[in-house]
Amino acid sequence: MLSSFFFLAAAEDGADAGKAIALALGIGLGALGAGVGLGNIFGSMIQAVARQPELRGELTGIQWLGFALVEAVVFYGLIGGLLAFVLI
Amino acid sequence: MSRLLTLATALLLALPSLALASTTEVAEEEFDPAHEWEFKTWIDLPFGLDITKPVAYLILGTIVTCLLGIVLMRVKVGRDPTKRQAVGEMIYEIAQVQVAEQGLPTKAIGRWFPYVASLMLFIWTINMLGFIPLPLSDETVDVGGIELPTLAIFAATSTLSVTLALALMTWVFTHVEGIRANGVRGYFKSWIPEVPKALLPMIIPLEILGQFMRLISLSVRLYANMLAGHLLILTFIGLIFLTHWAVFPLSVVAGTAFYLFEVVIVVSIQAYIFAALSAIYIGSAIEPDH
Repeated sequence: MLSSFFFLAAAEDGADAGKAIALALGIGLGALGAGVGLGNIFGSMIQAVARQPELRGELTGIQWLGFALVEAVVFYGLIGGLLAFVLI
Repeated sequence: MSRLLTLATALLLALPSLALASTTEVAEEEFDPAHEWEFKTWIDLPFGLDITKPVAYLILGTIVTCLLGIVLMRVKVGRDPTKRQAVGEMIYEIAQVQVAEQGLPTKAIGRWFPYVASLMLFIWTINMLGFIPLPLSDETVDVGGIELPTLAIFAATSTLSVTLALALMTWVFTHVEGIRANGVRGYFKSWIPEVPKALLPMIIPLEILGQFMRLISLSVRLYANMLAGHLLILTFIGLIFLTHWAVFPLSVVAGTAFYLFEVVIVVSIQAYIFAALSAIYIGSAIEPDH
């Protein structure tokens, strides 16, 4: 969202402003999905550790792996958006 | 002692904002964070092997990684372990237990542990160097009549070519090791899951595409994480110059918050993920059934 603000500030004509809004919408929707996913991962982790605290060490690695895999989805959106912003 | 350390840390954390501020003040043209990713050639070499900013960062990162390995691991083993030894052993244990043993089968750890461990340490070092303000920048500032490069933050891993080269290495090793362990026929057969025959024409292209997607996801994950981190910090600081000077408390606080988030969490997680996924890919090529 912030990047859209930034690009809006730099935009000179209407087309650029529209592209900035599209970029922000794309990233924002991507972040929405990843937010849900991250909430699921950490929520499940808390539950798992609450039920079986002795598994914490093993689960932490899996948790961070999942965290990075889910988080990366936002950045694919960001890269796609930036590419579209620059190229089109 | 600890108070001194806190003060030093606070000063160090305040540095990048100062550096960014001075960078942008010196630049007369319109502020645009994307300028950080336009590289001038510093030393012209044939075959496109020019030394630019990311190359300089990579060389520096290689030296620091080697030094880290030598300083932390080559310690005299005595009666009571020193702090240096403890740090070295902690890094070793993370690489052994969290990365290698999670992905690689037991018989392959001996051969591939050095690769994944050095990958982790190397990426961590480069990412970390990316958040330390260093006088490696295309822009110069006048200090007492001498042109010096401005302090700037830039990570070599926020360029796609660097991460793609790293991912390509893992990708090639995966297939070479898979073919060596299972034979050509056995390895390519292991790509295809057990499905009804009618589905095969659909599954096979998808599986082949999936192998290439690994390459893209592995490289773009690291690249986009570091790029987005730097862009966010630069954008927050840049708001001062784009809008009004009065936004500076907000932008400095937000920029510092993102800086801390990147340094504390993202840098280590990305190094760990890259190494762990490399280990998992190589491990699953050696023993496809897992």
